[in-house]
Amino acid sequence: MATVEQRVKAATANVLKIPDPDAIQLTDSFTVDLGAKSVQSIELVATFEEEFGIEMEEEAALSVETVGGAVAFITEVCKAQGVDVET
Amino acid sequence: MPDKKKTHPLQDANEPNLLTETYPHVLPPLIRFEGPVTEQIDGQAVTFDLAAVKTRPICITDTTFRDGQQARPPYTVDQMVHIYDLMSRLGGPNGVIRQTEFFLYTANDRETLDRCRALGHDYPECTGWIRAVKGDFRLVKEAGLKETGMLTSSSDYHIFNKLKFHSRRECMDAYCEVVDAALEAGVRPRCHFEDITRADIEGFVLPFAEKLMRMSEQVPEELTAKIRLCDTMGFGLPYPGVDLPRSIPKLIYKLNREVGVPSDRLEWHGHNDFHKVSVNAATAWLYGCDFANTTLFGFGERTGNPPLEGAIMEYIALKGDLCGIDTTAITELADYMRSIGLPIPDNYPFVGKAFNTTRAGIHAGGLRQDERIYNIFDTTRLLNRPPRVAITDKSGADGVAHWVNESLGLTGKNRISKIKIHRLARWVNDQYEVEGRLTAISDQEMEAKAEELLGEYWHANNDERRPAATETSGRSADQETADTDRAARE
Repeated sequence: MATVEQRVKAATANVLKIPDPDAIQLTDSFTVDLGAKSVQSIELVATFEEEFGIEMEEEAALSVETVGGAVAFITEVCKAQGVDVET
Repeated sequence: MPDKKKTHPLQDANEPNLLTETYPHVLPPLIRFEGPVTEQIDGQAVTFDLAAVKTRPICITDTTFRDGQQARPPYTVDQMVHIYDLMSRLGGPNGVIRQTEFFLYTANDRETLDRCRALGHDYPECTGWIRAVKGDFRLVKEAGLKETGMLTSSSDYHIFNKLKFHSRRECMDAYCEVVDAALEAGVRPRCHFEDITRADIEGFVLPFAEKLMRMSEQVPEELTAKIRLCDTMGFGLPYPGVDLPRSIPKLIYKLNREVGVPSDRLEWHGHNDFHKVSVNAATAWLYGCDFANTTLFGFGERTGNPPLEGAIMEYIALKGDLCGIDTTAITELADYMRSIGLPIPDNYPFVGKAFNTTRAGIHAGGLRQDERIYNIFDTTRLLNRPPRVAITDKSGADGVAHWVNESLGLTGKNRISKIKIHRLARWVNDQYEVEGRLTAISDQEMEAKAEELLGEYWHANNDERRPAATETSGRSADQETADTDRAARE
């Protein structure tokens, strides 16, 4: 099973149309480095919810700035909502 | 007063100060005064206590069916009766809308008057409007009216150049003859001092007003002459320090305090040629004139008159209370007016289709967090008009989310988050960025897309409530009546 990090990178690459998910760094900012625009930020959160089968609090989810931050945030939410994930 | 520099240290706070004593949100923003104001009149400092307006018996009068009709094709009888009925509900049982005036010349005029009175409302009281012709009092008497307005133009533009009098004396004598005829007929005269803001105040207006006061001393109180100050060309100015005849404070002071015309016999009638019509009417209230004359949505000769609905909001703001006013009738009146073909611009305050519609996404974000940030007051409560967002390239996901929630009537925790509407937000975004669209997206178009893209969220909520998106206040019985009227005319 893929790890949270791999799944976040894959989802991010899919939404932001990045050809190689492995090129995405944990330190990358969604907006500054990966070029996410307003609607794409929301699409990212929605995609993460679908990918992991979780519900995220809107304000908190949208305040996450980096890929690494998203990995940590999603891991926490999965844990809180009883969703098993590979870390 | 010498300039005095002060320091202003930051008063740090952890909680917002929303100034709710001025902005209660459940009412329009209140107008509060710090203290009296001083005006220089004839070299003397005269003090006015504007705050006294809160307890003074000010009210609104209406001329929608007279001046208001001079700017448009005639209303049908049914239309006028319906408008009168709604106007009565708007003004409430305390008679905040105290009077409305009617023409009396045609069979339709008289039928309208009879049918309005047959409704049995205490307010607005029906008054007449006639030429300053003695024979016209027969019409007033036959109609059973207690009061009528009459033209008594006051500027030399009118006295000499329009009415062709040879002297002011001849003019005043002619006016007084008609006033006498009114008093003899037992009809209260309301003298319309036309063009007062271009008149010689000391030379004609005040002497004529004094004469009217003397004539009124001979008759019972209910017949005493009233004076309507007609700013026929919209020249009146509200600012302190302005000279006569344009100064509204000075005009009212002279008539009220120097001549002694009581406040409850003074009425201001303005025009909007210089965009000052509403503030001028309020200024007249503040400086001692009890009546402000208005028309619905400001329809009137040329640029129009003080909008009645604006005066209603000003009244509430000055009084700090609804005083029995039913503000929701404003929306019904606007819907009705639109349905009978009167155009109301989309950005027109209080009733335009977009008056509380925001287009910028950043504003929609504010609305989503706290309605008060971008809504002037609780427009849902006072006007049955929830704040809305128009969907354009500037709307952003916040705007789309707000549109969805307002359309579904969802509030508080029931509101759908913008994450759940991301497909609709994407479609809106692509309309502009991919398709190159240049127009706003209509509510109908949005509804169709929401149904397609939001699936369960849209259907689950939409089944319980019809979206308020297409019409801000829905189709009312009044609109149905209006349609019937229109069909009958056609």
